[in-house]
Amino acid sequence: MSGWMLLWKIVFVVGVVVFAGITVWVIVAGFRDIKRLLQSIKKSHEEEVQTPTEEG
Amino acid sequence: MGLNLVGVLGRTNFSAFDWGIVVVYLAISLVIGLTVRKYVKNMTDYVAAGRGLCTALGVATITGTEMGLVTIMYNAEMGFKAGFAAFHIALIACVVTFIVGVTGFFIYKLRAMKVLTIPEFYGRRFGPKVRVLGGIMLTFGGVLNMGLFLRVGSQFIVGVTGMPEQGWALPVVMSSLLALVLVYTILGGMISVVITDYMQFVVLSLGILLGTGLVIHHLGWNNIFQTVANLKGSEGYNPTNPASGFGVEYILWQVFVAGLVGCAIWPTAVARALAADSPRTVKKQFAWASVSYMIRVMVPCFLGICAFVFIMTMAPDLKEQFTPAAEGAKADKTALEAMPVFLGRILPIGLIGVLTAAMIAAFMSTHDSYLLCWSAVITQDIVAPLARNRMSTKARIRLTRVLIVVIGLYILYWGLAYTGSEAIWNYMGVSGGIYYVGAFVLLLAGLYWRRASSTGAVAALLTSCLMVLGLTPVQKAVTALFGWTVNGKAVTFEALAKAHGYTTISNQRVSAWLCLGCAALATVLMVVCSLLFPDKKKIPGDGVASGTPEGEGGAK
Repeated sequence: MSGWMLLWKIVFVVGVVVFAGITVWVIVAGFRDIKRLLQSIKKSHEEEVQTPTEEG
Repeated sequence: MGLNLVGVLGRTNFSAFDWGIVVVYLAISLVIGLTVRKYVKNMTDYVAAGRGLCTALGVATITGTEMGLVTIMYNAEMGFKAGFAAFHIALIACVVTFIVGVTGFFIYKLRAMKVLTIPEFYGRRFGPKVRVLGGIMLTFGGVLNMGLFLRVGSQFIVGVTGMPEQGWALPVVMSSLLALVLVYTILGGMISVVITDYMQFVVLSLGILLGTGLVIHHLGWNNIFQTVANLKGSEGYNPTNPASGFGVEYILWQVFVAGLVGCAIWPTAVARALAADSPRTVKKQFAWASVSYMIRVMVPCFLGICAFVFIMTMAPDLKEQFTPAAEGAKADKTALEAMPVFLGRILPIGLIGVLTAAMIAAFMSTHDSYLLCWSAVITQDIVAPLARNRMSTKARIRLTRVLIVVIGLYILYWGLAYTGSEAIWNYMGVSGGIYYVGAFVLLLAGLYWRRASSTGAVAALLTSCLMVLGLTPVQKAVTALFGWTVNGKAVTFEALAKAHGYTTISNQRVSAWLCLGCAALATVLMVVCSLLFPDKKKIPGDGVASGTPEGEGGAK
């Protein structure tokens, strides 16, 4: 049982520490990605207006 | 519910200040969701956010969607019941998702094909009839799977705030949360979903990290592990031991369900892959998200374990409600309710509000994505093909919005009406299996085996209907039909096995055998039927193995 206990302790600590790091990265980079996303959608709509396509 | 029980469960630190935090958070979510609706112009915007997701936002939205409140609740339930042995699911989810991210298994080719939904892939590979059947199976399994989300999520809110569970509170909480999610999902589609998912990721991640730290501080790191060792023995740590409720076959099932299905087959996860800005981004997104897939299981499990330690050693009033000492006495409360009651007791004012906002964030981020996903599949893959793709983009978006409301009303009804008694994780694994067993075989064969035929695809899809045998009401109907009763009563397969001396059989193990058996049968049928009944003519748009450039979908 002590082997399993040690394994789950290591998995938990490593998992939480790595997740904390990813959280910081996602908060910073994700905000930048949202701005890019909205800009790209806006741009694609502008291009569509210039070259309209049939949908449906 | 007796007065004593109301008093015991009503003892929570949740205050008016905490309600304020929750309301402010909900208001901000709603405003953001409504603001971005102006960006929705076509189905690609509405269903796949214009295919503009970059890596970090992709990780945020996958985490937000897959770490739902129902996920948190059923994993906490698992931790409460099985202890650290349940951590194997987290480890499996992490390793398999990482491998999928690195290799791009399934997801890379799907994104390269630019399909909007998985049934659209079926259509391109196996023809329009398989697309419609696949859409029906996906919707049936998916909507059934989602049936308990609302109820379980609302049980958390009720438990943590100390509201009475019987009577008005649960239906009111269910209706209010549902209404909120419906409004911004209907209006903003996937663009609303990913942006609110980002915000929900921030609140959720910080909330659970902070909450976990405080719980460890309160109970003591070594005390948590030692108490589980004392009260549960090796069963609380070793998942290969059948007495833990798991066993080797269950672990294999989890490699399939929590691993492969969770990241590469489940439609809401795949929807993120399909919304990414490139196939390369998809791989990075999933490799990073592997940690989220582990955390979404491990942290709630840990909170469930902590609830167990707290109730068994520090709260004698709660211990009597959850595990009554008198022989044969029935517990007033279930393991599902332990975690919210525990958090309501130990977290201080302010932090409990933040954590509740985080949990509501988890609730909303899952519901919005699921509602959008199933309704988009009905529109794109069932109704539009049956209408011979004559529907305009406007008509498709309008129909998708209507379907979001219809599915929302269904989960409200199902949450109040379902009477099954299995563990929530089990219900989810089984009901989802109606979709994912067939989907696994079709994706595997469709993407990697050129001789796979439409007849094989139909056979594999229909085989997955057998997964309904995992639901307790269906099991009871079957045992009653064949006269396999125990003491004159219709029982579940687990109870039937136990009555015949197979004492180590658990409901989880029955589900594991059922799922693995169905997957094996569906694979065999796909191979045999494909060899016996090959497709006579090439399906239009088939070019999957090389990753053809553009999905049809009928809309941009």
